[in-house]
Amino acid sequence: MSRVMRRSTPRFKQWLTSAFRGTVMGLLALGALVGCSPVDPEPESAGTQTLTKLITAEQYGNSLAYIFGSGIDAQVRFAPVARNEGLLANSLASAGVSVGQVQTIQGVASSVAKQVMDIENRNHLVACRPESIDSPDEACATQFVSKIGRLLFRRALTDDEIATFVGQASAAVKELDGKELDGEKLDGFYAGLEVVLEGLLIHPEVLFIVESAEPDPNNPEQLRLDAHSLASRLSFFLWNASPDDELLMAAENGELQSPGGVERAVGRMLESPRLVDGMRAFFDDMLVFDEFKTLSKDATIYPEFTSVTAQDAREQTLRTIIDHTLNKDEDYRDLFTSRSTFMSPALAIMYGVPAQPGWAPYTFPEDSPRSGLLTQVSFLSLTSHPGRSSVTLRGMALRERLLCQTVPEPPPGIDFSVLTNPDANYPTQRQRVAAHLETPSCAGCHRITDPIGLSLEQFDGAGGYRLTENGATIDATGSLDGIEFDGAIGLGEALSQNPALPQCLVRRVYSYATGGPPENDARAALNYFNEDFAAQGYQLRNLLRTIALSKAFSLIKNSPSEEERLLATTSSR
Amino acid sequence: MTHFWPGTTGSQVRTFALFIITLAAAGAATAELPEPYQKDGRIGYVLTRKAWVIYEAGGVEAQCPEGLNASGVRQQFADLFPMDGDEQWTVRETRLMREGRMWHPETSEESFPYLDAQGEVAYGLNLDGKVDPDDFRSPDGIEGIDNQLQRAIGCTPGWRSDGQFVHFESLFAIGHSYNRWMIELSGVDDLSNDDDVTVTTYRGLDDLFTDATGDGFIAGGSQRVDARWGQNFVEEVKGKIVDGVLTTEPVKVARIPWAMRFVGYYDVLDFQLQLKLTPESAEGIFAGYVNAEQWTNRLNRNWGSHHQSYGTVSSASEYRAMRRLADAYPDPETGANTAISGAAEIELTQVYILHPSEQ
Repeated sequence: MSRVMRRSTPRFKQWLTSAFRGTVMGLLALGALVGCSPVDPEPESAGTQTLTKLITAEQYGNSLAYIFGSGIDAQVRFAPVARNEGLLANSLASAGVSVGQVQTIQGVASSVAKQVMDIENRNHLVACRPESIDSPDEACATQFVSKIGRLLFRRALTDDEIATFVGQASAAVKELDGKELDGEKLDGFYAGLEVVLEGLLIHPEVLFIVESAEPDPNNPEQLRLDAHSLASRLSFFLWNASPDDELLMAAENGELQSPGGVERAVGRMLESPRLVDGMRAFFDDMLVFDEFKTLSKDATIYPEFTSVTAQDAREQTLRTIIDHTLNKDEDYRDLFTSRSTFMSPALAIMYGVPAQPGWAPYTFPEDSPRSGLLTQVSFLSLTSHPGRSSVTLRGMALRERLLCQTVPEPPPGIDFSVLTNPDANYPTQRQRVAAHLETPSCAGCHRITDPIGLSLEQFDGAGGYRLTENGATIDATGSLDGIEFDGAIGLGEALSQNPALPQCLVRRVYSYATGGPPENDARAALNYFNEDFAAQGYQLRNLLRTIALSKAFSLIKNSPSEEERLLATTSSR
Repeated sequence: MTHFWPGTTGSQVRTFALFIITLAAAGAATAELPEPYQKDGRIGYVLTRKAWVIYEAGGVEAQCPEGLNASGVRQQFADLFPMDGDEQWTVRETRLMREGRMWHPETSEESFPYLDAQGEVAYGLNLDGKVDPDDFRSPDGIEGIDNQLQRAIGCTPGWRSDGQFVHFESLFAIGHSYNRWMIELSGVDDLSNDDDVTVTTYRGLDDLFTDATGDGFIAGGSQRVDARWGQNFVEEVKGKIVDGVLTTEPVKVARIPWAMRFVGYYDVLDFQLQLKLTPESAEGIFAGYVNAEQWTNRLNRNWGSHHQSYGTVSSASEYRAMRRLADAYPDPETGANTAISGAAEIELTQVYILHPSEQ
């Protein structure tokens, strides 16, 4: 620079000096701007795959309730899917629909369509009035099909699609003209709409959530969910239902993916009462509460445990979780030590306390042996046999459902007779399961499950409290990952301090949000979510926000080969 | 009428003691009140079964050697107004007349035979403190048992243990919360032996909890006291627990809800309880006198003609029998007794009773 200055004319020197100053100032200003702009703390993420997922019965029902109101009775039952890495939601992308299921869904669709077009409902569910009730009305049919079709398909219907459906409605009006059903004359126009609505309700695009990607304008090499797919992913994640009108509109007019758009949408969704439906569905899945549908206890051993008890036990835990995490925004980990819950009369029998009719907040007293979710009837009864408690099932459930650990299946050829036909000299479970630890092929796994379950032995197979078993005092000492304690309250405290507890929730929430188990390359994102969750006081709502707004949630991988996908899936397990 | 504790005769003491010993031998005795079923010396029970009780050991042959009453309302109507002749009947002189007999019963003689139950044994209590010739002996050998109701209804199929009333009255008691009747023991130090407890009766508001078999009832449920419409069902009386058996002093009038589809109750006069107690349940009897007119009125309100007929019951005939056998509460003008002694077999299950201040 100095050599150039020496060899230049004065005028050039002046220009060069001012140019240099300007450049320096510009660089400084640029540096200042860079320094002031927010740095995205989320690590780079490859994102996830686009998926085509089967809608769940609950999602279908919730969506119909939003579109048509809760007055429409839609008894939706879909065939169960297999649990994959802790969640049913992880299997929806590989679930299909059999012919039998289609018939079942068609039955629901037919019932819903009939109710919507019933004279008691159609005046408020069909916004327009036909010119004549006996003949086609394309304008009114178009209005209805466009509005309902958009909400059901989670996107605006194309003109061709609308024309096809309206044409079908008109054709049905003519075909059904003058006919009767169950002795009643069909109202032509509405009968036509009923036929079309039934068809819409079982349309593949309604039953399957089809995600699609587009290049990210900020990085054309990178794919992201398109606006409608992002809206659907957010809505099914947070509300367990299709996007509402406002979210669809944001997707349609570009607002959703404009600067700050997704933040506004997620903020609104997190404040909506519909978040409760979404999180109830998530925790129901994570805690394996679908097993309540088939849970039964031996009525001669646990006569007090009825189907109402099972139903209320599930409800109690879900109410407790929602109140703790969403209503009070409290630390997720404290769910396992909190004495606050809700009580119903049927459930109060199990807890040996009085109860008012209906559900009411309830706090277990300080001298109660119960505190936290592990001491609720739901966890205790679900993780027991029909006629007895199970230290192994309880320990395994805690590890797999709450800590996201895998307990291997028992090796083949195990002799269970020592447990099923116990020596009468061994009155308590502790003495009976000691056999586990004496057998080398059993001991490896049972060492990580049984000490947990033994600390819950003061609760029988139905969740009732007891101090003795077969006349012998129960020793409820146990341990979890090196921490020793006496009884269920100690277990709850140890679990709440276990670092794997919040990490497991993060992993499950992210899986649930994106529709599949996290692949290996999601590790950095999961670490970021874990740190953020801890920094924000382990508050669920903040975790949901962080994940919903993350790149790991909305970015899409660039079509990996099937081989890579398989490899990634396998190694993530 | 008698007072149960003061002025008790020697024979009463002996019979009572015998009764208690017998029940205690059945294994009712328990130790101290266990948690969580009692709190502050209180324990509540809710009624889960009730039926006017007839001693049926030995079968029909033993109590009804001449057979069972066979003419219910419809049979009587058919006998009175045969339709196979030429005679023409008016509605007024047939249906309305018989309807009137049901709702305004008479004690005049009637042409239909009515069979009283025979025998010397009956469930119940010695309500008047006497051992009269027409009194019964309890199954445990206690003399002086007052239960003339057994004579009046014991040979009528509808009232026997396999009759429809026993089944349906309990079914309705279970299924209709109007019929929810509860007792609460307070001041209980020991559920096996306590010579001074207070028993309060209430009407409850809530459903019962059946167990997983659907047949039994679960202890530990909750029942709110009906403080608004249930005041007439509240009575308080002292009692004693001896070897696990509670016996109360008499209550002048205790109102027991007893409705089928319609509102109804019985006012039981000189009402007493004798119950075998456990922390989870109570079973035994209540005994007392029932006014014959009220009994008939309740029968007609709860059970229509067809129900009465398939139990071969005719309330008009039954009323005559009840008045003939009535053994207490004489009419001040005529001197004829108006109320009949009887007993009901009852079963109760422990509940937490929620008083208005706790609701």
